[in-house]
Amino acid sequence: MLNPQWISLSIEILAATILVTAFIIVSSRSLLFYVRLFAMQSILLGAVALLVVIGYGETHILIAAALTIVVKGIVIPSALTKVIDKIKVRKEIDFTVNITTSLLICALIVILADSVARPILDQQQVSDLAVFRVLPVSIAIMMIGLFIMIARKQAVSQIIGLLTMENGVFLSGLSITYGMPLIVEIGIFFDIFVAVLILGVFVFRINQTFDTISTDILRKL
Amino acid sequence: MEYSLLLNDVLFAFLIGGFSFGAGFSLFFVKQQASNTSQQYNNLNRIKNFGFGFAVLASISGCFLSFLILLTGVPYHFEIIQTLPFGVLAIHIDQLSAFFLLAISLLGTAVSIYSFGYTKEFIQRRNISLMIFLYNIFLLSMVLVIISGNGVLFLILWEMMSLTTYFLITYEHEDSASRKAGILYIVMTHIGTAFLVVMFVLLAGYAQSFDFGAFRSVRDQIPDSIKTIIFLFALIGFGIKSGVIPFHIWLPEAHPAAPSNISALMSGVMIKTGIYGIVRVSFDFLGPGPAWWGILILFIAVVSSVLGVLYALMEHDIKRLLAFHSIENIGIILMGVGAALLFSSFGYKAPAAVALLAGLYHVMNHAMFKGLLFLGAGSVVHATHTKNIDELGGLAKKLPWTMLFFLIGSAAISALPPLNGFISEWLTFQALLLGFNIPDLAVKLAIPITVALLALTGALAAACFVKAFGVTFLGLSRSSHTNDAHESSFSMLAAMGLLSLVCIVLGIFPGTVISFIAPVTSSLLGENISALSVFNGGSIAIQQGAGNGISPMVLIMLLGGMVLLPIVFGFAFAGKIRKRISMIWACGLENVNPRLQYTAAGFSKPIRMIFSNIYRSSHEIEVSEETSTFFKKTIRYELKTESIFQKYFYDPIRKITVSGAMIVRRIQTGRIQSYLTYIFITLILLLLFAR
Amino acid sequence: MKEFIDTLFVFSIQLLVMLFLAPLVNGIIKKTKARLQNRRGASIIQPYFDLAKLLRKEVVIPVTSSWIFRVTPYIAFASTLAIVLLVPTIFAPVPFHWVGDIITVIYLFAIARFFVALAGIDAGSAFGGLGSSREMSIASIIEPAMMLAIFTVAVTAGSTDLSIIVNRLSTTPASMVHPSHVLAFIGLFIVTIAETGRIPVDNPATHLELTMIHEAMILEYSGRYLAFIEWASQIKLLIFLSLLANMFVPIGMAADVSSISLIIGIAAFTIKVFVLAIIVALIETLNAKLRLFRVPELLMVAFVLSLIALILYFIIGT
Repeated sequence: MLNPQWISLSIEILAATILVTAFIIVSSRSLLFYVRLFAMQSILLGAVALLVVIGYGETHILIAAALTIVVKGIVIPSALTKVIDKIKVRKEIDFTVNITTSLLICALIVILADSVARPILDQQQVSDLAVFRVLPVSIAIMMIGLFIMIARKQAVSQIIGLLTMENGVFLSGLSITYGMPLIVEIGIFFDIFVAVLILGVFVFRINQTFDTISTDILRKL
Repeated sequence: MEYSLLLNDVLFAFLIGGFSFGAGFSLFFVKQQASNTSQQYNNLNRIKNFGFGFAVLASISGCFLSFLILLTGVPYHFEIIQTLPFGVLAIHIDQLSAFFLLAISLLGTAVSIYSFGYTKEFIQRRNISLMIFLYNIFLLSMVLVIISGNGVLFLILWEMMSLTTYFLITYEHEDSASRKAGILYIVMTHIGTAFLVVMFVLLAGYAQSFDFGAFRSVRDQIPDSIKTIIFLFALIGFGIKSGVIPFHIWLPEAHPAAPSNISALMSGVMIKTGIYGIVRVSFDFLGPGPAWWGILILFIAVVSSVLGVLYALMEHDIKRLLAFHSIENIGIILMGVGAALLFSSFGYKAPAAVALLAGLYHVMNHAMFKGLLFLGAGSVVHATHTKNIDELGGLAKKLPWTMLFFLIGSAAISALPPLNGFISEWLTFQALLLGFNIPDLAVKLAIPITVALLALTGALAAACFVKAFGVTFLGLSRSSHTNDAHESSFSMLAAMGLLSLVCIVLGIFPGTVISFIAPVTSSLLGENISALSVFNGGSIAIQQGAGNGISPMVLIMLLGGMVLLPIVFGFAFAGKIRKRISMIWACGLENVNPRLQYTAAGFSKPIRMIFSNIYRSSHEIEVSEETSTFFKKTIRYELKTESIFQKYFYDPIRKITVSGAMIVRRIQTGRIQSYLTYIFITLILLLLFAR
Repeated sequence: MKEFIDTLFVFSIQLLVMLFLAPLVNGIIKKTKARLQNRRGASIIQPYFDLAKLLRKEVVIPVTSSWIFRVTPYIAFASTLAIVLLVPTIFAPVPFHWVGDIITVIYLFAIARFFVALAGIDAGSAFGGLGSSREMSIASIIEPAMMLAIFTVAVTAGSTDLSIIVNRLSTTPASMVHPSHVLAFIGLFIVTIAETGRIPVDNPATHLELTMIHEAMILEYSGRYLAFIEWASQIKLLIFLSLLANMFVPIGMAADVSSISLIIGIAAFTIKVFVLAIIVALIETLNAKLRLFRVPELLMVAFVLSLIALILYFIIGT
């Protein structure tokens, strides 16, 4: 076993980096960039899960970790990249909330997430374990994902928002219970995977029908 | 220390006597109007020299008096009269008063010297004796406000100060802008006074006296709710005087309207009487309160400083620009004060002492460099007769000394080391850093935001002064205003030189300066600052686990040494420098038109775009006489920025007041009988109540 | 006496290394960019030749300018060199660390910027004003992010003194890598790119009116004056890189003047700086220059990351 202090430190740093990727997603405009950042985020998340496996011997997460890296880190991003290539929409152009304000709101979200999670952490008296201490980060990532869905209009960004939320859920699962039971994880994965496939097809169809993937237009249906 | 007390008496007599005599004697000549005869001109000139001479004398003795008090630590007490209802009407100069007295006297000395030359042009145009009278009374009332030891006396003098200021703002009364500014000022300041009256009455209700000492002694008997009301009323009342946002609207109108020597005093020290009041009430009378007092002050401070500098960036009128910077700097001062209040409410006395020290240091610094800048602006306006910097440019060659002094002032206000502005901002940053030790979430959120916005303010101020200095003094002249510009007279330059020197000394010897301010903070907080910091002569250090300090004195030596290095290196490497004077590159144009240059509006455009949410600016482009699409005769470009406070704070208040007044108007019939009826009804009601 | 000689030695090594490494770092960035763009590129020591050439050339002074224009190169160079003496590069602590802390460093950069911006206006051309205006605007929105990123490290180390920050981190390695440092590092990296005028904020290689920022400001400079201004900005880049390297990865700093620790110190420093320089070149190649009014968004990222870093320091714990 490695030095547990280093393990927890690495987990914290990875969590911080995941937060950074979420912020960069919020700050950018290019759809392809979203997808790449999401892939990176998922791989980092997989690394966190692997560290939990190594550090705490929770081997049942191993599969979830591998699935995260493979499915969310490679398969889904490449599928989305293909969709983007086909629909030829590369940039998010108009926003519900502009980027500067979005970033400030996300900063507030992080602060809020901390104030929500802090009582839980204090209560459980577990704050010496790093995995628990990433709880605020995971809540923040969930909320940022939701916020991306609110702030962006393109269908691809909506998908990215959803996936970011899911990453947050996975991280919080890791943090609270060292990962959810495998069957639940696999279920979620299946859900997500199917959702992305269906959404991808939808995006493609929407684009064909309306010449845009802005979800604004869907109101007219 | 018997001798020093005697000396104190003498100095005090000179201080008060000088101003009073200067004012009194000029009253005899108030009827004398200037005519063209040289005889009368000379007479008035002599009167002017006498009048300001007294002011200089009084100010210098004020400097010495405050020095003595700060050095010895013995407060100066002087009882005027024992009145029954209000307690002892007394003058009491403790450390805090002495510190503010020092700021007023130092700036007073410089401005009085400046006025010798500056007011010369008034002799033929205006009533110079009136100017001398008001000037002396103004300084006298400011000094007395700071040193009075009784609430009633304070209020009387406060009112005297406000009224003199009003007359000085409207000194150039044929200008309708001045009259409007005066009215706005007098309305705002009276609203403030109303709050202060209530505040003092509340305090006196518990103390059974208006004596400041009595206020202090009942500190613990006042219930918290009343304390909060007193605090809020003091904040509004004094806040209006110091021009914090949202009570700032009078400031950018009033300061430019007054003659420049008066603007220097108003901006340099008069608005500091508001700070004095806030410090006096919240630290001395009330003592540490709940944490939200500090947070509230910090909030006001942050808003004032950021919005102050942002609005300043949009100004082209050099004096309005400086006035907005006063709002910004009051914000920076209040950051220190607010942080001190916040820290002391958690019982962190030593960090609070550092924070208060930072605030007070900035009081002194701002008095000096803002005074200097207003005097410099005065010289520019004096020489060119325009306040619009877009009509200036290239004054560097015509007013070389003014330019140098204005540059020092600009560098100081932009907090460039090793000038004084840097020291106080450094101290503020350090104080905020110390606050991180406080285990409270609100504090830990408030501090990073304050730090970030203080950094933003500092950088924007630098941008603004690159604009103000660059557009005014550098490049090519933009209009004919600068054609016969001439350097100011010796007394004006001497005054600016004096202030520049003070700015440099305050920057290079922070340790010495702090040893003068430290007694003030320790008298207010009961905690010696040396618990946390080391200061001697040219270096200071704040200790927080590990020491971290700066030594501006060594820094300036290093900078000096490093300037030599490129010169020597260049010479050794490639010999003597060869220079050629040539035209500038203008994309191949032969003759360079000064209109090629960026204007002040152009300079600040990126910032206007970046902060467009705050400015809500709108611009109008009007093109006239189009002969073809490419050759336009004239283009008019008008830019408006909207003040959010004007629109969302003052306009509603004004509307409510006006509609309220319409209702009240019905009572006012204009018939004497109905008024008598009102009095009659009031009497009967009173009798019923008093039964 | 021994102490004095040591101090003098450290002092001169520090100065010399920074003076003569700066053009090399610049050369490396240019070379890396060239290779990444499938160009051969100039030799990595080309910046030295450029400086030498410029130093020898005649200075052309605009007829409209005042003395501000003539003193600015020296002031900019001197204030940058003064910073060199305060920033730990090879040695920690540096002999003059008590003269100024990290806040002083930031404000010393402001001196150089203030005067160069004034000189831009002083030339009296349209470009100078344009450059000054943009430079000052961008600098002012950089400042909050920079201050917060630096405060994050200062709070961790309990001091704003750079040498103490660097030493504290190297004596207790556990506090060296803190999650909030990741955020602060990225924040400060964006700040570095913006401050030193690299792509995507400013393009150091362009002279196109619409896109120039820093270059527009110094357009009227030539000969020896230009040499000093260019050199100063190369040193500025190196200072920022060494701040990034030594504040966040304080490894291998020489604590004494023995030859072994000196060699390790120089080697560690050059490796760290070169790696960062290559990252800068990578970013320059992968990104296009942003529109001027997109820059605030990028800096907002830096600001928010730094703010979160500071807050995260309390969240994830001390």
